Amino acid sequence: MLASVLRRFRSWILASGTAVALTGCATNAAQDTWKPKGPNAAKIDNLQKPIFAVAGVIGVIVFAAVIYCVIKFRDRGQPIPRQTHGNPALEITLTIIPALILAVVGVFTVRSVFDLAKTSDTEMIINVTGQQWWWEYDYPVQEQFGITQPIITSGQLVIPAGTKVLLRGTSRDVIHSFWIPALNGKRDVVPGRVQTNRIEADKPGIYAGQCTEFCGLSHANMRMEAIALSKEDFAKWVANQQTGYVAPTDGTLAKEGETVFLNQCVRCHQVNGLTRADGTPAIAAADENVWSGSAPNLTHLMSRNTFAGAMFDLAKPSCRKEVWESDSATFGGKYLAGVTEDCLNQSALRDWLRNAPAMKPMYANPALLAPTDGKYRGMPYLGLSELDIEKLVAYLLTRQ
Amino acid sequence: MADLAVDKDMSHSAHGSSTHGSSAGISNVKLGMWLFLGSECLLFGGLISTYMLYRGRVSQGPTPSQVFDIPFTSVSSFVLLMSSLTMVLAVSSAAKKDDRGTTLWLTVTALLGATFVGGQVYEFTAFKSEGLGFGTSLFSSSFYALTGFHGVHVTVGIIMLMAMVGIVQRGEFPGSKAETIEMIGLYWHFVDIVWIVIFTLIYLIPV
Amino acid sequence: MTISERPTSHIALPFVEVPVTASTTFGVLKRPVSTTGWKSWVFTVDHKKIGIMYGATAMFFFVVGGIEALLIRLQLAAPNGKVLNADVYNQMFTMHATTMVFLFVMPMAAAFANYFIPLQIGARDVAFPRLNAFGLWALIFGGIFLNLAWFLGGAADGGWFMYAPNSGPVFSPTHGVDFWAFGLQIAGIASLSGAINLIVTVLNMRAPGMSLMRMPIFSWMALVVQFLLLFAVPVITVALFLLMFQRNYGATFFDVSAGADPLLWQHLFWIFGHPEVYILVLPSFGIVSEVLPVFSRKPLFGYPFVVFSGAAIGFVGWGVWAHHMFASGLGPVSVAVFSVTTMLIAVPTGVKIVNWTLTLWGGKLWFTTAMKFSIGLIVLFTIGGLSGVTHSVAPSDTQQTDTYYIVAHFHYVLFGGAVLGLFAGFYYWWPKIFGKMLSERIGTWNFWLMAIGLNLTFGPMHILGLQGQPRRMYIWTEARSGEGFFNLGFWNLISSIGSFVIALGVLLFLVNVVHTARKGVVAPLDPWDARSLEWMTTNPPKEHNFDAIPTVHHLDEFFHRKYKEDENGAMIKVMSAEEILTEQELAADEHIHMPSPSYWPLVLALGLPIIAYGVIFSTPIAVFGGIIVLFGAFGWGLEPATAKESDFDSPTHSGDQSEEVVPVG
Repeated sequence: MLASVLRRFRSWILASGTAVALTGCATNAAQDTWKPKGPNAAKIDNLQKPIFAVAGVIGVIVFAAVIYCVIKFRDRGQPIPRQTHGNPALEITLTIIPALILAVVGVFTVRSVFDLAKTSDTEMIINVTGQQWWWEYDYPVQEQFGITQPIITSGQLVIPAGTKVLLRGTSRDVIHSFWIPALNGKRDVVPGRVQTNRIEADKPGIYAGQCTEFCGLSHANMRMEAIALSKEDFAKWVANQQTGYVAPTDGTLAKEGETVFLNQCVRCHQVNGLTRADGTPAIAAADENVWSGSAPNLTHLMSRNTFAGAMFDLAKPSCRKEVWESDSATFGGKYLAGVTEDCLNQSALRDWLRNAPAMKPMYANPALLAPTDGKYRGMPYLGLSELDIEKLVAYLLTRQ
Repeated sequence: MADLAVDKDMSHSAHGSSTHGSSAGISNVKLGMWLFLGSECLLFGGLISTYMLYRGRVSQGPTPSQVFDIPFTSVSSFVLLMSSLTMVLAVSSAAKKDDRGTTLWLTVTALLGATFVGGQVYEFTAFKSEGLGFGTSLFSSSFYALTGFHGVHVTVGIIMLMAMVGIVQRGEFPGSKAETIEMIGLYWHFVDIVWIVIFTLIYLIPV
Repeated sequence: MTISERPTSHIALPFVEVPVTASTTFGVLKRPVSTTGWKSWVFTVDHKKIGIMYGATAMFFFVVGGIEALLIRLQLAAPNGKVLNADVYNQMFTMHATTMVFLFVMPMAAAFANYFIPLQIGARDVAFPRLNAFGLWALIFGGIFLNLAWFLGGAADGGWFMYAPNSGPVFSPTHGVDFWAFGLQIAGIASLSGAINLIVTVLNMRAPGMSLMRMPIFSWMALVVQFLLLFAVPVITVALFLLMFQRNYGATFFDVSAGADPLLWQHLFWIFGHPEVYILVLPSFGIVSEVLPVFSRKPLFGYPFVVFSGAAIGFVGWGVWAHHMFASGLGPVSVAVFSVTTMLIAVPTGVKIVNWTLTLWGGKLWFTTAMKFSIGLIVLFTIGGLSGVTHSVAPSDTQQTDTYYIVAHFHYVLFGGAVLGLFAGFYYWWPKIFGKMLSERIGTWNFWLMAIGLNLTFGPMHILGLQGQPRRMYIWTEARSGEGFFNLGFWNLISSIGSFVIALGVLLFLVNVVHTARKGVVAPLDPWDARSLEWMTTNPPKEHNFDAIPTVHHLDEFFHRKYKEDENGAMIKVMSAEEILTEQELAADEHIHMPSPSYWPLVLALGLPIIAYGVIFSTPIAVFGGIIVLFGAFGWGLEPATAKESDFDSPTHSGDQSEEVVPVG
């Protein structure tokens, strides 16, 4: 039924779409809500476009009527009109017509609401957790996708294309909202609750998103991307995420970087499999230092191409461009290549390590942390030497 | 409250007016008081909803059944209900311009109200000593907020009653004493009725 | 301000200023008696002076909120803006919204309601004049208190919706949110007292013959708004108390670690917040429903439909709050229900647009500035209404909510609707209030700059939002703003330019005010050939409004006194406004005792911010504030509304001295 209505409105939709495009929309806006790339977003799009068209037509009728009145009935010295008080029949008609239009809209709306709330057809589950000001994704064990141990990552949400993914969202501090416009509408993540949202991408590609519930100081910098990979590429990604820890070769700068990491970073950031000099596993204690209780897992940092809540690109502009603009056939290979030394956005990463609070507004000034019992919200200034930064960058580059 | 109840009703400041045609047939002050009480319903409605949402959420500290002393609260509730009766007597004495009766019943009403508030203070102190602070749990926060708000309403009522006793003694008052006492009565009955609802929801219905 | 006043017409003896002996309360404060100077304003209980002061206060905060808006748009004009940092930006958008909603549109609507309800229903003042003064002062102190935070460690930074838990002490460690909560609480007391006062006034004090269905439409819409306030304010009061208890006394209402549900705040806030939208916009609907008939020379089309649709909006407005929470995770059943009720409310809203358009139809349109603003409202509000329908569709809303599309939507509703309506009111009623005509020439520029500026500012926001720019971001980045000439950067820049065009328009209004005050044309008695009761008195009205309370026989009483239909159905002028006024003056009531000025409302209101300051910083100060409130309440209670007979030193009486005292209501 919706389809038939759609078909009827198709020419209108195309016409109005063209008109809007001509009157000036951005091309390739990363978060365009009118460019669905998956069935859930398409369902919304199919629902909203006819409504925009109808609203537009009603608007034009009203404007035309007002303009007609303004021209036709302006004071040309005509006598004062008869003092008529209205026309109930006309009134009632003009009340019923919009009510009927809205009734039709209502039927389609209610159906879509329930369709979009369905969870029974889920093929894959990913837990999404918001925290000031980044996203963490945690993939529970799902053998059918080769996920034999939980995967924890952040910033970029990697999903297999053509798969119905159910996100189970929650938050560790305030309310955030998870939104990848090309894949579905937004859903708030609320601390103390778990709420679901369906996403599915038709094709491999990179789909931008942004936290859309105001969440404090760096709300504007809390971005994310969904990365859809073909099923084969996704399997490769999963395999890589589950590889054991490979320590840097002794005597390299990266190895020294590992020591710096153990001294400085592991307080909050986990690298799976990393051990201390005495052979004990290095377990991050983010909950002792960060108010919200966690920090991004850096085990495979270089497999993603953004960092710090997807605020900064980990790949330098030319490499970034290559990934973002590749077609769906070649996208997977390029993404899986990760960020190599040639592609690393050295300056951004170094600036970040040098003084993170200067790069992104956070609550990291130790003097102002009384309300949080001294715990940070965000990454503090670490006072690293340039040499330490050099070593750390070398170490992080090995985290492919 | 007091400010509203005793603000001089403008259309009543005029005597023998015949030019006034369109009104709801109820004095300004009384209509204003009814509207205020309507608004108060939403205030208590919000607080009661909050309590109902949170009453079972005790992450630490005592649960409702561990602290409530239902016989004690029943007695103090009964005292408050009796004060509605004495309030009626005060209003009727005032209507009969019986200053002695008015003074008597206003005083008794205030005393009964004070007994209730005293009971509430005792109850809060006892709860506190049993480890139920304001911030102990969601139950405690919403319990103290709701009953505390009610207690403040009763206290304001007592202040108005005592002020009225003073005014009746002094004899001089702008406006009609009987009507002002009637307004205080309306308020007082409202506060009592709210307590019946609160008492039922908090103490009598198990979580 | 006079305590004793007699009709001042050409037949009565001119009023003679006589010193009065002031009575005292507690023997402390002498009753204020000044009739001129600042004291005659500060202690006044006259609804017209209070209305003007409401208006001046609101206009001041309009400028403050406007400057905040300009700073926001300056920051967003280019990517990675450097004008404001994240912290200040968050305070700025929070305070912009709070100021515009609570300190501009609401008080400005209150200004019109205060000034014109008694005049439109043929009353001499409101039901509780001192309560009215108290409301004004509570609003002023609340507004000052809210903004005090700027100077005491930073303003509130959680957005005007102040969602928990982001508003908690951990996430918003400055005192900004405390000032915000108390400021709104105090302003809320003002709204509540005003609501009670005006409802009683309308229900009890209409002129003889003025049935509710003969009441001017502005008074009707204002009445609906007062009912909405009466029931909405206590809900936000509860929410603000819970927030305050959490921040200042360690309560756990929104503490998730204790098991709290953050959606509790959202429900409380929006149960208040959605009726609030209608509180903001209905007064303006009332104003244009007055202006359009006057300048179309025909009655409001379908008056009963407009009245009932207004009341219907008032009712259904209570059942749509959760459409602000479609993305919050309410579950599909709630979402579906609220989606449908939201569509439902579009129907009565549509009725109004239809009626306004049909009021123009067949009229004799006179394009004054007030008329231009009103027609502007029809067009621009329609855009806002239609975009509103697009996100009543819950699935679409999950794409649109918290993007600039919503910002565009509610600015078309609130600026295109509420603010344009208020400006129509300024131009229409200025001669009535101040006795001088605002310049129509400047007014035309004022209108076009505001109309064009508002389309430039908020029009592009539709595109920005639909193309994915979220709200409440202190910076936007080129990486996500697309390509092509019309990329999001372009539209952001246009929007920022537009905001300055609006500012220029508003500035022209202020210029017009100054120009009019200095050398404006003295207004004729009936400059617009108006229709309703407020025009049946002098410009500005006498303190007691009407020499004789008119008896009402029609909707549009004044028009029907001026015009009669002849046998051919043509409208013939039978009486001029001057003749009608003279007729009234001949029948003037004598010995009209207006309520007397008082210190107590001011004293009582002054106690409130002191309590609030004390709760935030130091309990003894709060106790001191409480004592002031109690002192004020007692002083008030013991003071007669109208000074005693003995306070009135009899003016030089002449002729017969009627013993009859005429009601002021």
